[in-house]
Amino acid sequence: MRTLLRALGTGLLALGLSAGGAEAADRIRVVATTTDLKALTEAVGGSLVEADALARGNQNAHDLEVRPSLMVKVRRADVLVINGLELDQWAEVVVRGANNPNVMPGAPGRVDASSGILVLEVPRARVDRSMGDVHPLGNPHYTGDPGMAPVITTNILEGLARVAPQHRATFERNRQEFLTRLAQAMTRWSADLAPFKGAKVIVDHNMWLYFLTRFGLVQAGSIEERPGIPPTPGHLTRLIASMKEEKIRVVLTVPWGDQKLAERVAQEAGAKAVVVASAVGAVKGADTYLDTIDYNVKAVAQALK
Amino acid sequence: MRALVGICLLAAGALVPGPAAAQETEALRKELEQMRRQFETMKEGYEKAINQLSDRLKTIESRPAAPAAVPAAAAPGTAVPAVASREQMLSQAQPGIPISPTELARPREPFSLYERRGTGQLLFDMGIAGDFVANFTQRNVDKANAGTFSGRENRFFPREVELSLFGQIDPFARGEVIIETGEEPNETGELTLRLAEAHLTLLTLPFNTQLKMGQMRNRFGLLNQLHAHDRPFIDSPNVLTRFVGEEGLVERGAELTWVAPLPFFLEGLVGVFNGDNEDAFGRGKLSEPLVTGRLRTFFELGDFGAIQLGVSVANGETPERRRNTLFGFDAKYKWAPSGWQQPLLTVLGELIYQERRINVLGEDTDGDGVQDTPDETRRRNRLGWYVGGEVRPFRTGWQKGLGAGFRYDWTQYPVMRGREWAAGPFISYQPSEFLRFRLGYKHTQRTADRADFSENESSARKVDEILFQATFILGAHPAHPF
Repeated sequence: MRTLLRALGTGLLALGLSAGGAEAADRIRVVATTTDLKALTEAVGGSLVEADALARGNQNAHDLEVRPSLMVKVRRADVLVINGLELDQWAEVVVRGANNPNVMPGAPGRVDASSGILVLEVPRARVDRSMGDVHPLGNPHYTGDPGMAPVITTNILEGLARVAPQHRATFERNRQEFLTRLAQAMTRWSADLAPFKGAKVIVDHNMWLYFLTRFGLVQAGSIEERPGIPPTPGHLTRLIASMKEEKIRVVLTVPWGDQKLAERVAQEAGAKAVVVASAVGAVKGADTYLDTIDYNVKAVAQALK
Repeated sequence: MRALVGICLLAAGALVPGPAAAQETEALRKELEQMRRQFETMKEGYEKAINQLSDRLKTIESRPAAPAAVPAAAAPGTAVPAVASREQMLSQAQPGIPISPTELARPREPFSLYERRGTGQLLFDMGIAGDFVANFTQRNVDKANAGTFSGRENRFFPREVELSLFGQIDPFARGEVIIETGEEPNETGELTLRLAEAHLTLLTLPFNTQLKMGQMRNRFGLLNQLHAHDRPFIDSPNVLTRFVGEEGLVERGAELTWVAPLPFFLEGLVGVFNGDNEDAFGRGKLSEPLVTGRLRTFFELGDFGAIQLGVSVANGETPERRRNTLFGFDAKYKWAPSGWQQPLLTVLGELIYQERRINVLGEDTDGDGVQDTPDETRRRNRLGWYVGGEVRPFRTGWQKGLGAGFRYDWTQYPVMRGREWAAGPFISYQPSEFLRFRLGYKHTQRTADRADFSENESSARKVDEILFQATFILGAHPAHPF
């Protein structure tokens, strides 16, 4: 028994030391709650960061199960980038379980990417859960809008520079290079969607408001009557009728949504259901932040033709 | 005397400022002057920054509030107007326009646009969880108070209504207070208000440790740390009720946790408590404390499956000053296919093994009024376990809230002779994350009547029960761990 315990102890020590060796690497370990934020962190940090995401691209980041494997990722992190606006509140449980003081609330390694974002749909009146799973701080899906990337990347840059001030110049250079590429792509995206300015679309979940607003499109309704609550038959009937009346031709759906329902609604209204990338990595071809926006712009433009 | 004079002269020499001291004073004066200049420069810089921020704020406030670009689909009466118009948003950060980081996009942490913050900014989170249970059973079981909820047979009652207050105390600690009420097991419907938990956790200790202290549900096994409304079954598994009582292990003391620096999850925990639990310990003294320990690990099994394994121990003294040690082994498996928000399959189980010493009084075997056998200490090594699970077979739509489950219990009694087993299916429906209903059936069989299961001289060896549970959550509720 003693021999077994000794062997077990030696094994754990060896594993710990090997993990410690990996930790000694020079790169800043960043964990982001979503793949969008991971991609933007990589754009700013470049080769100086080793980034990972807690939610997978095709997962619903509203309601992620807090698995201990997420705590392992956060335990080693120098920086944690959160979406904020109560999209990823589960991250607090992960952080507490990870026992990592670097990323506790208020620590220098904590970055709230929503800081400074001009938030849409901030409730002015009282909200409660009769309205569904509403976000009392406003719509948290701002990363879908490429126009928000300058603010998000600034927040990330400041967070990285707090942890590694000696690399600030590199982060700023990386960020500027990324924003230059973003600006070029933005011109192309704006041109692609310009012919459809004012076009109305239906969404399955209210997460495209920033994207649609950026490109002059209008969200005319959603399959979810209230956030997080399955739609009633009456709501679907009304939605289909209004789609027919307003000649709405596109329903945007996400990989984790009810695609069958979106297709049925689209079919009954004479429209087309389009799967868009809810985050980086959500669909094939959406491997980087720019690729993801590119994918969504092309998908929407194609559907609106 | 000479020595005294010498000392005085030396002291006087040291006190009289010499040329070296004069140089030092000059150097200090220069240093002070330099600091003053630095301070002035900093002050000017801050004033400039504040003026720039004020100008920006005035510019933002002077913009006309254009109609918000809210979705037309917002439900009547639930319309949530946006505070930011499309024009405002576009003007905030247009990548096509050269961006000056200092002018446009620099975060103003901890300050941000005033619209985003509500009046509750420094308030902690608050939530209420209500858990109501109904129980239907045979008359003899009712008479014997031998149902799952002893003393509340054939009643609909509030098992647990909790007010939770939780949040950050400061950058280094977090606090949580839970006050609860529930019906007492005495058929009078009397409610008692009690402190369920109150603890603080030091979050930033060295070596990846955290210290939680106060009154808390002990992290012993899978379910003991969960409140009734968070558990995956309507009732508590029999093994837990028998070994640590209906309330479970709720102790006052401290727990230290450590997450090992390994590529996989391994958490270690040690705790020291009073030992107030009357069913298993009850000594209630820190001089003979209840000491707990737990190791927990977790593995992802492919992309969609995951398993958590844990071992726990609790070692303390009973009021008779006899030692009791509980060993717990637990496992939980979940499988959530791609695109599923909730697990399709959850299977979990716990096993508790007890090593307990009890005092047995000597007996008068021949009835002559004289004790024939001596008082002695005996060992009670007892075992109990349960295994259960739930399937939620629908991915989307209203049906995704539907589930069906089953649990099997087997346990010996911790002190008395005998054992019992129970089995029962249940169905559940969860319209939203904050509301849940469960309906179940439970059949229990006991090997022998026990004094505390046969009050009023009624037999309750076989118990059939229909159980119903309604749970709601108001306000804040932390995300559930795995």
